Amino acid sequence: MNMNVEIDHRATKATAPELNAGPVVSIVNIGKTYARGNLVALSDVSFDVGRGEFIVILGPSGAGKSTLLRCINRLAEPTKGRIYLNGKEITDRRRELRDARRQIGMVFQQFNLVTRLSVLLNVLSGRLSYRPTWRSFFYSFTREDRAIALECLEMVGLGHKVFQRADTLSGGEQQRVAIARALAQRPNVILADEPVASLDPKIARQVLKYLKEISQRLGISVICNLHQVDFAREYAERIVGLCQGQKIFDGPPSELTDDILNKIYGMRAEADGD
Amino acid sequence: MTSLEATIGQALDREAAWRHRRIAVRTLITALCLFVLWLAAVRINFSFTSVVLGAPGMADVFGRMFPPDFSYISRLIAPTIETVQIAVWGTLLAVVASAPLCLLAARNTTPHPLVYSVVRVFLNLLRSINELIYALLLVSAVGLGPYPGVLAIALHATGMLAKFVAEEIEHVNRGPIEALQAAGAGRMQIILMGILPQVLPSVVGYILYRFDVSIRSATVLGLVGAGGLGFSLITTMKMFKYHETAASIFMIIVLILMADWISGRLQKKIL
Amino acid sequence: MSRVTDYAAVQPAPTLADRAKFLAFLLIAAAFLGWSANALELSPGELIHSMPVIGRYLARMFPPDWSALQGLWDPTVDTICIALWGTVIASIIGLPLGILAAKNMNSPAVVRLTSLTILNVLRSISELIWAIFFVAAVGLGPFPGALALGVNFGGILGRLYAEAIENVDQKPLEALRATGANHLQTIMFAVLPQVLPQIVSYNLYWFEVGVRSATVLGMIGAGGIGFELVTTIRLYDFRQTSAILIVILLLVTVIDRVSAILRRAIVK
Repeated sequence: MNMNVEIDHRATKATAPELNAGPVVSIVNIGKTYARGNLVALSDVSFDVGRGEFIVILGPSGAGKSTLLRCINRLAEPTKGRIYLNGKEITDRRRELRDARRQIGMVFQQFNLVTRLSVLLNVLSGRLSYRPTWRSFFYSFTREDRAIALECLEMVGLGHKVFQRADTLSGGEQQRVAIARALAQRPNVILADEPVASLDPKIARQVLKYLKEISQRLGISVICNLHQVDFAREYAERIVGLCQGQKIFDGPPSELTDDILNKIYGMRAEADGD
Repeated sequence: MTSLEATIGQALDREAAWRHRRIAVRTLITALCLFVLWLAAVRINFSFTSVVLGAPGMADVFGRMFPPDFSYISRLIAPTIETVQIAVWGTLLAVVASAPLCLLAARNTTPHPLVYSVVRVFLNLLRSINELIYALLLVSAVGLGPYPGVLAIALHATGMLAKFVAEEIEHVNRGPIEALQAAGAGRMQIILMGILPQVLPSVVGYILYRFDVSIRSATVLGLVGAGGLGFSLITTMKMFKYHETAASIFMIIVLILMADWISGRLQKKIL
Repeated sequence: MSRVTDYAAVQPAPTLADRAKFLAFLLIAAAFLGWSANALELSPGELIHSMPVIGRYLARMFPPDWSALQGLWDPTVDTICIALWGTVIASIIGLPLGILAAKNMNSPAVVRLTSLTILNVLRSISELIWAIFFVAAVGLGPFPGALALGVNFGGILGRLYAEAIENVDQKPLEALRATGANHLQTIMFAVLPQVLPQIVSYNLYWFEVGVRSATVLGMIGAGGIGFELVTTIRLYDFRQTSAILIVILLLVTVIDRVSAILRRAIVK
């Protein structure tokens, strides 16, 4: 398999987000409590995400990583705190939310493609929020949409699979299609929720490399949930450590000492031991 | 290195060609379907105008039905119970009749291929004819009343049930049967110990579904004089007592929803 | 050292109460069946007594009088057309209501309950009863038959569609919502592609059922082959009846086969 990732520099211009000095995403005191059983999934997490930054959120399963990502684009409703996108607060008002979600791409652990549709239509569905509803009744898109979708597929090296049904692709290829779908939104941020947990290590590295390239070359910030420490060390520019819904580390991989790792992963073990 | 623009341009052209071909094929198929539908519409005198013109008449009928005469419900209890009884006995007779027939109609239990073919044709015959046609014929043979209704339901349900069970038997797992054969079990023993346990859950589920369908059919058998709620419905209607007709319809809805609910609950319990 | 299984611990003996409950259930069931048989005048004697009567009727059906086939072509084609349009109307009614009634489509509770109620009423009233009303409204002929089938099957299909939609994989829906796609776009791109094969398969199956139903709609003047059938029975012309029954048998068999082949081809 081709491990070489080549993203054409010229593609950058079309994707360049409007220049803005501040952080792309600010997370301020976000908290989530599930009503049933008073389960605290997140408590008072805050951090900023800079433009083109590749942040890994590291933590054991159940640490609240997924909830945190979902709170950013409101797939889950936070019970507390605020989130700003390019300085503007994300609310649950429908039109504003649609605008915000358009600027936030998301990649999932299970790829979440519509497997019976072609690869192209899956990528094009990333363009839906830009187009009026009536077009979707005819599965119709503009020439611009199609050019963007094809370009995004080229970026992830799947230009030759455009017309195939998504369920004919391998897991790694499906995840690349999902990345292309996120890219087709022309996002400022991509949220990746355990994007490689269902892939074997070799393919996982390839997918992470694509995400890394995207953040470096296209200036799109990536917030990536991982539970594997070695992947986090290898790819992250900055790591946010989560444990039991609390932020207990925020810094570059070089500062991630064994002590801190024990804290991230150990606290849970102690809790289980009780 | 080729330029990205050129690659995208080529891809766009390829995509356009592919899309246009797809659109052409789909348009052709759609046009064909619409043409067939149009022919059919002409045949059955499909007309929106007659719906619009008929709407006041329909509204008039419904208007005369409202409010339903709920006091009439006390006199609908007996027909309701009769409907249930027809469905129960119709289904039960079908189960009894299907027991031997399904064995004859399954390739792996039939005594002879010829028997298999004959029984299959016979079952198809039973299945293809609607309960109402049976009821109509039987009413003219044995007279009005619930009895022809029971037989009508039994005949149709036998065709359905026996075919379903036969197919379940054919799809049974061979392993346990070979084990029984190896242990020297006889034909009947294989059926009882090897096949029956495997098909039982799905067959019981299907019998419950069939009972549900039978209740539905039993509500209309009365239209041809074979007892049940349908008979109250059609007689009140013929006497222009529309409030009572409405009450009958109300009762039918209640009965069917209840049967639906009960058979759904039982099916969930079994599975 | 050998150990003997303690069977009493593995499978405790049924308690007296359990046995009593089971016995009571059997008794009640038997009593109900006996009482019902009595009410329905159903007895082995009656069965044996009526068999020769039915046999005599059957004998009067043979040999089939093929002259009945004259002029039977039109009603046969009508029957198929009624089933065809019935299924089309049913889908038009069933799809929107099914989408609104599906639990995972997040319709407001009022809308969901209303659509569920409409579906329940539509499917609880048999197509024959609907046909009586539609004949009253638009007059005799195959058109009210198609309307009646459409309304009744619309209720049935709507519920089946709703169940199919409730069983779709939720993950792609979430992904599309995350892109900022709105509700209708999500339905078009994530729900419909998933349920379409099932919808097509249901439609074909209910078209088959529709053909079978359409053979009796003629009894109440709603078109199709049933009218001819009833006429021969009313005229005690049973040899013609059997000829028409054979035509119905052939029709249903052919439709079953064709639809089975189509279903296999479409649902890949």
